[in-house]
Amino acid sequence: MLSRLAPRAAIRTAFQAQKSTPHLLRAAPITSLFGDRISQRRGYATPAEERDLVIIGGGVAGYVAAIKAGQEGLKVACIEKRGSLGGTCLNVGCIPSKSLLNNSHLYHQILHDSKHRGIEVGDVKLNLKQMMSAKETSVNGLTKGIEFLFKKNNVEYIKGTGAFADEHTIAVNLVDGGETSVRGKNIFIATGSESTPFPGLTIDEKKVITSTGAIALDKVPKKMIVIGGGIIGLEMASVWSRLGADVTIVEFLGQIGGPGMDAEIAKNTQKIFAKQGMKFKLNTKVAGGDDSGDLVKLNLEAAKGGKEETVEADVVLVAIGRRAYTSGLGLENIGLETDDRGRLVIDSEYRTKIPHIRVIGDCTFGPMLAHKAEEEAVAAVEFLTKNYGHVNYNAIPSVMYTHPEVAWVGQNEAELKEAGVKYKVGSFPFSANSRAKTNLDTEGMVKFLADAETDRILGVHIIGPNAGEMIAEGTLALEYGASTEDVGRTSHAHPTLAEAFKEAAMATYGKAIHY
Amino acid sequence: MASVFNTAKLSARLASRYAPRCAARRGFRISSRNEAAQNFTMPALSPTMTEGNIANWRVKEGDSFSAGDVLLEIETDKATMDVEAQDDGVMVKIMSEEGSKGVKVGYRIAVIAEAGDDAASVEIPAEDKPAEEGQLARKDRPSPQEKLAGGLDPAESSPSSAEAPPSSAPESDASAGGAAATASAAQKETKPQSGRAQKQTYPLYPSVEHLLHTNGLTKEDANSIPASGPNGRLLKGDVLAHLGRVKKDYPSQSAARLTKLGHLDLSNIQLSKPTLPKTEAAKEAAAVPEIPQETEIAVPISLSAVIATQKKVNDTLGIFLPLSTFIARASELANEDLPLSKSRKPTANDLFNSVLGLDQVAASSRGRYTPQVMGLATPSSTAPARRAKKQDIIDILAPKSTAKKSIAGRPGAVGISTGANVFSVVAKSGEEKRAVEYLERMKLALEKEPGRLVL
Ligand SMILES: Cc1cc2nc3c(=O)[nH]c(=O)nc-3n(C[C@H](O)[C@H](O)[C@H](O)COP(=O)(O)OP(=O)(O)OC[C@H]3O[C@@H](n4cnc5c(N)ncnc54)[C@H](O)[C@@H]3O)c2cc1C
Repeated sequence: MLSRLAPRAAIRTAFQAQKSTPHLLRAAPITSLFGDRISQRRGYATPAEERDLVIIGGGVAGYVAAIKAGQEGLKVACIEKRGSLGGTCLNVGCIPSKSLLNNSHLYHQILHDSKHRGIEVGDVKLNLKQMMSAKETSVNGLTKGIEFLFKKNNVEYIKGTGAFADEHTIAVNLVDGGETSVRGKNIFIATGSESTPFPGLTIDEKKVITSTGAIALDKVPKKMIVIGGGIIGLEMASVWSRLGADVTIVEFLGQIGGPGMDAEIAKNTQKIFAKQGMKFKLNTKVAGGDDSGDLVKLNLEAAKGGKEETVEADVVLVAIGRRAYTSGLGLENIGLETDDRGRLVIDSEYRTKIPHIRVIGDCTFGPMLAHKAEEEAVAAVEFLTKNYGHVNYNAIPSVMYTHPEVAWVGQNEAELKEAGVKYKVGSFPFSANSRAKTNLDTEGMVKFLADAETDRILGVHIIGPNAGEMIAEGTLALEYGASTEDVGRTSHAHPTLAEAFKEAAMATYGKAIHY
Repeated sequence: MASVFNTAKLSARLASRYAPRCAARRGFRISSRNEAAQNFTMPALSPTMTEGNIANWRVKEGDSFSAGDVLLEIETDKATMDVEAQDDGVMVKIMSEEGSKGVKVGYRIAVIAEAGDDAASVEIPAEDKPAEEGQLARKDRPSPQEKLAGGLDPAESSPSSAEAPPSSAPESDASAGGAAATASAAQKETKPQSGRAQKQTYPLYPSVEHLLHTNGLTKEDANSIPASGPNGRLLKGDVLAHLGRVKKDYPSQSAARLTKLGHLDLSNIQLSKPTLPKTEAAKEAAAVPEIPQETEIAVPISLSAVIATQKKVNDTLGIFLPLSTFIARASELANEDLPLSKSRKPTANDLFNSVLGLDQVAASSRGRYTPQVMGLATPSSTAPARRAKKQDIIDILAPKSTAKKSIAGRPGAVGISTGANVFSVVAKSGEEKRAVEYLERMKLALEKEPGRLVL
């Protein structure tokens, strides 16, 4: 059986190679040369059975696609080089950062906030090592959990680095040594992203760090400078500020929070963070740096030119964004294209120009968020099995897990202005919400943006306790095309923070009751 | 009506390599809508395309064609693209002749029939209302290939998020929407059509229920109000429009805007340099032969050291490393930190970086070269000719002799010889230094210590 299969497969590959030559010649004559040769040889060398789906990358995009495909009965293999599943998100991203955010918040609260609540604690001490190992416990539990889900759903887990040998074959350099190769009828690329480095500074993850170093420092730095006031920068700034570091955030733009955050919310956030002790230098650019000494020196300049200054810190966090990661993937062997920011080019069904190869998650277009990667993973598998998948990119929430949290979904005021849409604004402060008052945690507000004519919700922006959970309701409303009146006429339990959500909706189409 | 979705396939960027396999699947689906003749309408070849020019028809009236045949070339302001037949068929009548300019997307350009039909005797169907096309297509939910065929408009490919017109029979238009619908049909070219009325099978939204009651409308009335919500749900704005409190077509216009936001914006992708689709590049070159100043730079590199290493690894470790692995890894290394092009305009990425305050634009950047390798031993003539000027490396290195020799074609790419090979890349004007540096590094890596590439 096998011996007959081998030549047949070979003939087919050869035929395909031949067939595809004209296309390839048009698109990428160079690689076609390699491609054909390799595919012919591989065809003979690897009679191994073909998987329905091979996924490169076991991050959120990759592992979710693998599990979903397993559930749909596909024969699926997932290649991951890290040695554990879950990718950036579980290993060095969302999960460890949230562990530190939660525990540093508890620490800070016990230290500064428990006394007037009537809780007197003795000596409060930080045991950073224990805090880190609590983080590791969470990470390990979750990554092992995914390995279990792989087994449960018959997903083959290949530990190694995958690279395209040809359009259907992935050569894998195994983590434990040796090589193998897998063939897939379909292939998903889900290789994620990496931190964008800062020119002139060498990342050593000790003095000059990315978020990966920032979740693993072995002592609290005296002075920390964060380059970039986006979500990741602000989350890490919060952690180390709470644990006692003197933190300064340097941001080129006039606003923190990155592009999606509503300007009014961003301003509020900055005020609250400043009260917490973080320092901000907005409209400031880092013109250069020197990391040769014990302290890292940075030269700052006013963004619009002029004022210069030099600052020093024992740790500098580079948090200026992330970029798609595809190196070592052998894209050149099959002639796949990336755009000028390294993102793999896809169509609306995640297909590359080689239609059985699809791309999902951070290494292609769209916001770099774990839940976006997850949605795409499911949709891409459904395109395979059902010919149809769905992701609504206008209803993907963003959350910053600081305290208070900041969360939003849909468009912000600046975006609506730019689109020329007439909108109305309704907001409600947590200081008027009974539960927030009860909790003595009243900073922030809920803000709705709705179409001025039809009242249809266009954006929801929240800063406040529990914003990250509350945004789910806004996302649902957006997905269903609801108006603020629909939210305002829906019962919300009393006393909850969510009542602020309802009242902000009421304030948009009419009047809030409690404000 | 949905002919675009059934019969045309955009071949430019996303052409399916597996036409035979796909065609079988498509054919199956299409047979359910077996009509004598179908209108063939101007496809949307990109999300932003609203009209196109017919550059040239590749089939004549009465011609039969097979799946995969190029039917015509369409020209837009951005590119010229082939439209391939997705199924076998016969061209009955060409409605928009070659050279027709500004044909709106969705307008009939030809009539086609099933393979085997007699082109002379089939009945020519009436012109469809272009605005309805998307809806019908949504209604019978084409395969991805069919959707792809309908142009790359992402709005067409995700129906459940398509908040605009829900699926329902076109006939309900007249009965339900009444005057409003007819009016909107008249404006179909420029304005998105009003949502369709349909039976509301879900509980009505609280705001809708409230508006109905306070305005003396019944639930039955609700079923006849054009609905612009996801999956045809009736929204507050739709009732307001029905009551005349907002403009009739406003809800559907804003629904269309939101639908667009619901999709990744894949228009205007700036490809990284060396992977620019050659089709486009070649066509540009054909139109304006003088402009692209590309220089092909070639360096002879011997692969004998590589082959020796390959053999050694095979003998000692029992692992066969293909030559391509060596070349790919050498290329990976050689691409690191290459000197920047002189004529380089800041890319989106540079601008992004400067916004972030990293504004001293680096003196070097990662290259994206892939070498073209030719064995010297076996020339052939199968490779396509390209307008590139060939230049010897010496010419570039020696400052005086900058004269560029122009060649009409280049020797065929025929495989890798075990001895000397010519490695070449095409460098854009101003990038010669970059390309030379790259090739020199390739040479060093492959000739001197290839073992280090793989160990
Ligand atoms: C500090 C931090 C905090 C974050 N917090 C949040 C948050 O709170 N919420 C949120 O939504 N998002 C958050 N993100 C973003 C989130 O982590 C990413 O959006 C998400 O991980 C993307 O998933 P992915 O599968 O596309 O890529 P990744 O998670 O990066 O996974 C890609 C995987 O592919 C593997 N790989 C790459 N190349 C190969 C190869 N050739 N062969 C085999 N394997 C390969 C990599 O090892 C990696 O494990 C955060 C990111 C960071 C850095």
